[in-house]
Parts: sequence; structure tokens; C-alpha cells
Amino acid sequence: MSSVAVSPVSASPAVSKTPRPVLQLVDVRKVFDGFAAVDGINLDIEEGEFVTIVGPSGSGKTTLLRMLAGLESPSDGYITLRGELINDVPSNRRPTCLVFQSLALFPHMTVGDNIEFPLRVRKMAPEERRRRALELMAKVRLPEDYYAKNVMLCSGGEKQRVALARAFAYDPDVLFFDEPLSALDYKLKKLLEKELKDLHRESGKTFVYITHSLEEAMVMSDRIGVMRAGKVVQIGTPEQIYSTPADRFVAEFFGEVNTVPIRRSADGWLRRDGRPVAVTSGLSIDGDEATVVIRPEYMRFVTDDAVADNTIVGTIFNEYSLGSRLQYQVRSRTGRTFLVEVPRAAAWKGTGEVTIGWDARNAIVVGG
Amino acid sequence: MQTVGRTRTHFLIRAWTAFVVLAIYLPIACGALAGLSKGRYFAFPIRVFSGEWWGKTWDSFEIHVLVQNSVLIALIVTVLSVLFAFFGALAFARYPWKGRRAFQRLLLLPIFFPQPVLGLALLLWFNALGISPSWKTAVVAHLVWIVPVVTLVIAIQVFSFDPVLEEAASDLGASRLFTLRTVTLPILWPGIWSGALFAFLLSWGNFPLSLYTAGADSTIPKWLYSKMVAGYTPMVPALGTMSTLTAAALLLAGGLVRLLLKKRADLRAREG
Repeated sequence: MSSVAVSPVSASPAVSKTPRPVLQLVDVRKVFDGFAAVDGINLDIEEGEFVTIVGPSGSGKTTLLRMLAGLESPSDGYITLRGELINDVPSNRRPTCLVFQSLALFPHMTVGDNIEFPLRVRKMAPEERRRRALELMAKVRLPEDYYAKNVMLCSGGEKQRVALARAFAYDPDVLFFDEPLSALDYKLKKLLEKELKDLHRESGKTFVYITHSLEEAMVMSDRIGVMRAGKVVQIGTPEQIYSTPADRFVAEFFGEVNTVPIRRSADGWLRRDGRPVAVTSGLSIDGDEATVVIRPEYMRFVTDDAVADNTIVGTIFNEYSLGSRLQYQVRSRTGRTFLVEVPRAAAWKGTGEVTIGWDARNAIVVGG
Repeated sequence: MQTVGRTRTHFLIRAWTAFVVLAIYLPIACGALAGLSKGRYFAFPIRVFSGEWWGKTWDSFEIHVLVQNSVLIALIVTVLSVLFAFFGALAFARYPWKGRRAFQRLLLLPIFFPQPVLGLALLLWFNALGISPSWKTAVVAHLVWIVPVVTLVIAIQVFSFDPVLEEAASDLGASRLFTLRTVTLPILWPGIWSGALFAFLLSWGNFPLSLYTAGADSTIPKWLYSKMVAGYTPMVPALGTMSTLTAAALLLAGGLVRLLLKKRADLRAREG
């Protein structure tokens, strides 16, 4: 499968206001013992943008972030901040701040001391430090009496807020986040995602966030970059990534999808069994092999009064409840497994073989 | 039925604990009693108790010199070994570097080497170098054995230290020195204090290394041994008891200081 190194597809609204991106990466590589963890990344991040880099573990996203924060230096390429080369500028001289996955709160300090740490580095007067810390605590919704609390006695969500306040105390131009929400339970995670988004809007700062959860990325980001094996495979708005994934990897990264391999013929695209397949996209694909990607929610049961552009016959072998929706696993006659997700009202009531199908406009064709 | 069983188990645990404590402390108690006897010789039962030998020990010039030597050696060993061991512990447990595994193994070697042999080897070495043995050579000998021990004690603390904290401090603008002062050292202090206490007590009580390498200078354990071999006086158990009590007092004081520091920190945290 060809990985496409794409320069930013979309332009966020901020572009028109600022002529130059705040962070610019040109052919950035990082090699550890002959292994390229980051393998040639080109990326422009605009002022005030919320960019999320998603990718499976080992895709190089943490290494990328560590280079941006100054904790590693690139083996190759250029990183510029507001037009200045920062490849070898150490982390303590960069106007950027990283919220670590482990949060890295200082365990021997109180909540207040943690938040005041970057202010202490700058030799701010104690009274002013305290005032600023309390201000930031209000901003991240920490109660005032937490100021003197031992940070290790805080709950997971509270620690998250302390780490955020500490990063804001540094007053960086760009904030980096290394999956800080990964250890939290679902409900708290959802709440903090929204708060983070609010904080981003209120502060106007540039956020670069990395996560392996595309769901998390969708909620918060202006743009999403998908990484794989050290390269950015696709970058675009959440809508672009969702509706027009660049390849099968990106499509599958979004979670469960159905795939149907197809090949080119003189009469158009054909399925393996030789039947033609109706497609509306993928006309510009180069090779002779391609894959149709259909999300489970676009698959449905085909009956006499509900036809579809493309159909497959199979048997249901599993049924799951997803709350308001139902998901079926269907095995086709050729042995492929398909996922069909329908509203509860459209539950399948028949017996024996079923015909499932999708409409051409709801499917995406990707190369390979 | 179950409670009866549990009560019996509890009783057995208590009885066993009492037995072990007795077995450990009875000889020390006997030694202490021997020093309180009026008699010139080591004999039980003690017929007349008196503080005469304690007094004599307390006033003896010879003993004063001994104590001075022991304290001086122990203090210098403590300071130097903590200094070496701190950086050694960082190399041992903090930074990945080529040869770290070899360093970790080599460091343990002096600990497993029998001390009398180590002492003799060092004495031969000093002779070969033309250094006449004195309390100063004893300091070196103690360091050879104590630095590895203290390194291990501090390394335990270093192992639990998360290096990401140093990265975070740097990311928030702190220099290396500022990070060392405000993040690394405060978190490692408990280990460093334990290491210092270990260093002092191990040096204070060390006999085999001092025997070979202190030359004409004597330390408390060395003197105790020589008097036991020839020329016993009740000053031996008296000084032995004093030495034990001093070490115990030091341990207690260390614990107390730590408790007070913690209380003060808690209080400060509460007041804000």
C-alpha cells in the first residue's frame, strides 16, 4: 500500500490572518539505531489551531511530539517555530509546553507549588505567583482550597487539571498533549475533552494533541493528521478524514468498516466473483486493485421494498446490542464477514439467508 | 471455632516474636550488666552492682581518644560515601549507559568479599605504595566497603524516581541545576538520609577493616577486641554498652528528625 505524504489539505480559518504557520516541519526524521521512528514528516500548524495526530502505538507520534517539545532532536529535517529554526533548542528554552501522558506532576509538592513551578523558575515574587496560581486554578475549575493540597492525594481528573494549569502557568505559545486522557474513565474523559476544547477556544493558543483514539480526535480537533510507520498518511478536517479516507489504513483506523476487494476491467470495477460493483468515487485510482470501504451504519438489509446498489447474500451468525442500535455479523457465501448496523426499529426478524447491501454514494473506494 | 483458632495463632505469633526478641537482646543485656558489676572479672551471677566502671570508662583519656577516632572516621566516611554513592546511584539506576551492567556487578563485589581478606589486601596495597597505616587509611578502607552499600541504599530510591519529572521540569523552563535542587534532590532525600545513617553506623561498628588498616590508631571495636583477647577489664562491656546505646540513639534521632520534618511539611501544607 502506498503511503501518501500529504501536505496540509485543508486550511483552517486562521490562515488568512497569519501569513506564516506557527510551527513548520520540513522532512523531519528521527532515527534510533537504524530504525526510523519518524520518517519524513511535512506539516504546517497554524496559529490558534487544534491539531491532533492520531496513530496506532509505534507509529512515531510520541517521538514526533518529543521533538516538537525539544526532548529529542531530529536526525534530519527542520522544525521552525514562527520562522526560527529550533531543531537544537533545548526544551527549557522553547516557548512550548508538553502535558505528559503520566502528567509528571511533582509528587513532593502541593497543587499550588506544582502550578507555580514555572513561575518560580522565572523568579516571580511569591505573592504574585500565588495570585496567578489561584487564577489558573479557577480557569481549570479546581476549588481554591486545593492550593495547599498534596498533589498525590488528588483524583485522576483533578491531577489532569493541575497539569493543565501548570502548563498554562508557563504561558507557552504552543501546548502539546501526549494522550493525557488515556488513563481516565469514559465519562470523565468526555467531560475533560469538552473542557479542553473550551480552554483552547478561550485561550486562543495553539494545541497539538496526540492520541490513538480517533474518537477523541474527532471531538476536539480543527484538523487531524493520521500517522503510520513514521509518516503522516493523511491530514485534514475531521469531516475530510471521515468521509474521504486516503487509504484503507485510515478508513479502518476509524473503527469497524466493511471492505470489499475489487479489480478494474474494461467494463468498470468488478468484484472477486466477477459481478460489477457500483461506485461513485475512486475513479482516479491508478492501480487495478482497489477496496470498497463501507461503514457498518451504511450497510442494511435488502428486502423486496428496500433495494440497494450493491448486494451480498449471507447468514447472520452474531447479533450485538449497541443501545439504540443493533449490530449484526453476517458471513457471506464466499466466507467474508460483514458488519451491519441498523436502528433497533429495523431489527432483522427473518430466518435463513439474508441479503445485505449498500448504496454506491455511501461507499468509499481506496487504492490497494 | 474459628476465633479459638485465630486466638491460638495470635498467641503463637506473639510467643515466637517474644522468643526472637529475647534471643537477640539478652546477650546485649548481659553485656550491659557485666559492665555494671563491681567485680574485676566477668562472672555471673553479679554479686555487687556499681557504676564504678562506667565512671572510669567515661573519664579515661584512652577511651576519649578512641571515641574521637571512631567519630572522626565515621563522619568523614559518611560525608564521602554519600557524595560518591549519590552519583554512583544515579549511574547505577538512573541513566542508561554503556557498561552499566558491568558497573552494577563490579560494585557488588567488595560487599561480598570477606572483610578480613579485604582489610589484609588493602594493608598490603598501602604498604606497596609506601603509605603507613593510620586512621586515614582506615577511612579509605571503610569507603571501599561502605560506598557500595550506600550506593545500593540510595539506588533503591533512585529506581523509584521517574525521569519524566526531570523532563517536565526542563520543559517548564528549569535549568539542570534548578531541576536538581527543586525536583531530583528533594525526591531522593529519604534515600540519601538512609544512606548517610547506614554509612555512619557501618563505619562506627566496623572491626575487621579497622584492625588491619588503622595502624597504631585504634577505634572502639578494635580496642574492645584487643582488650577481650588480653587485659580484660569491665570497661570493655561498659564501653560496648555505651557504643551500642550511642548507635541506637542515633537511629532513634534519625527517625525522630524524619518524623518532625514530615510533621512540619504537613503543617505547612495545611496552612498553605
